[in-house]
Amino acid sequence: MLVKRNVVTLLMVAALASFTALPATAQERIPVVATFSILGDLVSRVGGDRIDLTTLVGPDGDGHVYSPTPADARRVAEARLVVTNGLEFEGWIDRLIASSGTDAKVIAASDSIAAIAEEEDEDDDTGHDHGHAKGHSHGHSHGHDRKDAHNHSHDHAQGRDHAGHEHGEFDPHAWQDVDNVKAYVANIRDALVEIDPEGAEAYAENAEGYLAELADLEKDIEAAVASIPEDRRKVITTHDAFAYFSRAYGLEFIAPQGVSTESEASARDVGEIIRQIRELGVRAVFVENISDPRLIERISAETGAQVGGTLYSDALSPPEGPAGTYIEMMRHNIRVLSEALAS
Amino acid sequence: MTRATAIRFDDVTLGYGRHPAVHHLRGEFAPGSLTAIVGPNGAGKSTLLKGVVGALRPLAGRIAVSSGPRTRIAYLPQAAELDRSFPLSVYDLVAMGLWQTSGVFGGIGRKDKAKIDEAIAAVGLTGFERRSIGTLSGGQMQRVLFARLLLQDASLILLDEPFTAIDAKTTADLLDLVRRWHDEERTVVAVLHDVDMVRRVFPQTLLIAREAVAWGETETVLQPENLLRARRMVEASDPFARVCERA
Amino acid sequence: MYELLIAPFVEFEFMRRALIGAAALALGAGPVGVFLMLRRMSLTGDAMAHAILPGAAVGFLIAGLSLPAMTIGGLVAGVIVAVLSGLVTRFTALKEDASLAAFYLLSLALGVTIVSMRGSNIDLMHVLFGTVLALDDGALLLITSITSITLLTLALLYRPLVLECVDPVFLRSVSRSGTPVHLIFLALVVLNLVGGFHALGTLLAVGLMMLPAAASRFWSADITMMTVAATGIGMASGALGLLLSYHAELPAGPAIILVAGFAYLGSLFLGREGGLLWLVLPGRHLEA
Repeated sequence: MLVKRNVVTLLMVAALASFTALPATAQERIPVVATFSILGDLVSRVGGDRIDLTTLVGPDGDGHVYSPTPADARRVAEARLVVTNGLEFEGWIDRLIASSGTDAKVIAASDSIAAIAEEEDEDDDTGHDHGHAKGHSHGHSHGHDRKDAHNHSHDHAQGRDHAGHEHGEFDPHAWQDVDNVKAYVANIRDALVEIDPEGAEAYAENAEGYLAELADLEKDIEAAVASIPEDRRKVITTHDAFAYFSRAYGLEFIAPQGVSTESEASARDVGEIIRQIRELGVRAVFVENISDPRLIERISAETGAQVGGTLYSDALSPPEGPAGTYIEMMRHNIRVLSEALAS
Repeated sequence: MTRATAIRFDDVTLGYGRHPAVHHLRGEFAPGSLTAIVGPNGAGKSTLLKGVVGALRPLAGRIAVSSGPRTRIAYLPQAAELDRSFPLSVYDLVAMGLWQTSGVFGGIGRKDKAKIDEAIAAVGLTGFERRSIGTLSGGQMQRVLFARLLLQDASLILLDEPFTAIDAKTTADLLDLVRRWHDEERTVVAVLHDVDMVRRVFPQTLLIAREAVAWGETETVLQPENLLRARRMVEASDPFARVCERA
Repeated sequence: MYELLIAPFVEFEFMRRALIGAAALALGAGPVGVFLMLRRMSLTGDAMAHAILPGAAVGFLIAGLSLPAMTIGGLVAGVIVAVLSGLVTRFTALKEDASLAAFYLLSLALGVTIVSMRGSNIDLMHVLFGTVLALDDGALLLITSITSITLLTLALLYRPLVLECVDPVFLRSVSRSGTPVHLIFLALVVLNLVGGFHALGTLLAVGLMMLPAAASRFWSADITMMTVAATGIGMASGALGLLLSYHAELPAGPAIILVAGFAYLGSLFLGREGGLLWLVLPGRHLEA
C-alpha cells in the first residue's frame, strides 16, 4: 500500500516537474528590428525561427522619408539587434535609435561593400556602358564628373567604415546588386551569431542555403541580360535607384529625378530626359512603386517610348504581389526588363 | 405711377434680445403720406425703420406693408455701411438702383442709361460719373445715394437721418427731391433731428420715445407738452426690468 | 531671344501643355483672386487651400493618384468647409475670419489624422506640390472646364457680387440673393483651388490666385481693368516661371509662384496707382 502510494506520488511529481520544465527549455525568440522590407526579408531568411522580427517600413513604403511612430521606438528599445541598410538610406534612423534609448547592437548591412558615390543627373552622361558582367567588389568607380547632390555632409553614423572612399554622399541602393546582398547576408549572419552564439549553427546553415539561392539568382540575371541585344540595353525610370544594378549587369538606367524621391524635377530635367530618349533611342520606360507615375507617362507619351511595367526599387510588394521577397523582386524586375527590351 | 403703400402697425414691439426698443406701437403710415419720425436718442426710430424693411423681426405684433404688384421699398440706412475703398464709379453705384427692375442677370439698355443720367442730373452730379466713390465728400456721397433711390422708383421710401452732417446746400437740394416724391404720391418716412425742418416740410409726424407719444398732424404732435413727455421716457434698457404686462 | 523664350515650348510637348495649363489657371484664378481681395478675403483663399488638402489626400488614399478621386475629395472638403463657415457667418455673431479658421483647422487636423493612420507615402508629396510638368489630357480638361465655369459664373453674377462687397445692406434690402451669391462665390474659389492643385499643389495654387490680384491693385482703380491686369500677370508668371524652370533648373511649380511674387513686388514699387515710388515722387498736380 505505502509503496503504491509513494510510486503514484512520485509519478505525479515527475509529471508536474516535466510540465514546469517545458517552458524553461522552450526558446525565447530574439527580438530583431530591420528598417525596411528588403532588409526584413533577408534577416528573416537568416534568422529563421530563432528571431522575432519587426520591419519598420513595410511593403510599398518609402524608406527615404519615413516618419517613425512611438510604437517603432518601443520596438527598437526592446530589440537586441537593429539592422539598417547604411549609406544614409534611412535619414531618420539615428534619431530613432537615440531617442529610444536602446542598447541593441546596430549594424549597417552594407558594411564593406563597394559603394557608388552619388551623382547629379545633368552631368551624368550616363553614357557609361558597363560591359562587365559582374561588377566588382573592390575598387570603385571611375571618374566622371560628379557633383554632390545633397548638401549635408555629416559622417556616417555608428562608426561604419567605408570601403576606401572619401567624402560625399553615396547611393544607398546597394541591394540592387546581388553580389552586395551576399555581403549583406554575411554581415547579418555574423551579427546574429554575435548576439546569440547558441544559434550560430542555425544561422550559418540558413545563410548558406540562402547564399546558394542568391548565386542561382545571379546567374539567371546575367543570362537574361545577355539575351538582350546590346544596343537595346537602355531603360528610363523615374527613380535613380538602379546604379548598382547597372554597374553589375550592364543595363543603362536613365532617370529624370535624383536618388531621393524628395526633390522635384525642373523643366530642364524633364526636357533633357526627353532629348536623351530621342537621341539614344530608348525603347522602354518604367514606373516604380514609389514615384509619381504621371510624370513618367507624360514623358512616355511625348517620346513614344513604351511604358513597360512596374519596377521595384526601394521596397518589396505586399506578400500577394509580384515582389514579396527579395529574390522574387529581383526576378520580377529582370523579367519585366527583358520582356520590354527584347521585344 | 406706382400705387402708394401703406404700413400698418398692429401692437408691434421691436427690440434686440428681450429688451424692447419700441413698445406696443399701433397706427398707420397712410399711402402717399410724408411723415417725419422724431424723438430723443435711443427712442427706437432706426429700429422702427429696420422693422419695416424686414431687417428685424418683431418681438410681438405684426407690421403689415400693403403690397401690390409694383410695390418697391427703398431704404437709406443711417450710417452707410458702404465700402468706400471699393473701386466703383459713381455711375455704377447709381446704376445699382435699377436692380429691382433688371434683377440679377438683366442688362442695362438705352432707356435705362437715360434714366441713370437723369438721376445723376437730378442730384446735381452731372460730370461726376467716372469719379471713384472713394474720392467723394460726405455731401456728394449722399447725393449719389439719393440718385440711386430715385432710380429705384419705389412706392415706399424710408430715410434714416439722411441729412446728418451734410452741408446746407445739399440738404436743400435733397429736400426738393423729397417734396417731389411726395408730389408723385409715394409714401415717404424720414427719421430726422431738425425739428424746424420737420415743421417746414413734413405734414405728418410720429413722435416716439420707445412708445408712440403722438402721431398725426405735425403742428399737433410737436406741442410742448408732447415734447416734454418724450424727453422724460427712459433711454437705456433696464437690466432689472420686469416682464411687460400690457396687452 | 528665340532660344530663350520660344524654343523650349516648340521643342517639347510637355512644356506646351504646362503653358496651357498655367494659362488656363491664371484665366480662372485671376478674376476670382481680384474679388477675394476686394472682399477682404485674401487669407480666406489661403485657408481654403488648406481645407482642400485633406479631401484630396483622402481621395488619393482611396484611389491613388487618380484625377477624379482627388478632385472630388478636394471639392467635397472645400465645399463643406466653405458652406459651413459661410452659414455660421450669416446666422451667428461669429465673423467670417473666425468661423473659417475654426472649420479649416478642423478639416486639416482630420486630414492629417486620416493620412497618418495609413502611414507615410511619398506620393502624398506630389499632392502637396503638384506636377505642372505632367499634366495629362484629363487634368488639362479639368482645368479648362473649371476656368470656363468660373468665367461664365462671374459674368452672370457680376453685379450681385460687386454689390455684396460694396453695399451689402442695400443688396439685402432689394434682393435675397446675397447669401446664395456669397456661397456660389466660395464654391468658385474652391473649384479654382482644386483645379490649381493638380498643377501646382495645394500649397501653391492659392499663389496664382492672390499674387496677381494683389499686384493688379497697383495698376488700376477700376475693377474691370484690375481683372484684366491680374489675369495678364498670372499668365505671364506661368510662361516666365516655366522658362525659369527650364533655363535655371528650378522646380517648375515654385518657379511660377516666385515670378508672380516678383511681379507683386515690382507692382508695389512701380505701379501707377499708389505704388511706393509714386508716393515718394508725386509729380505736379492738375488744375482741377
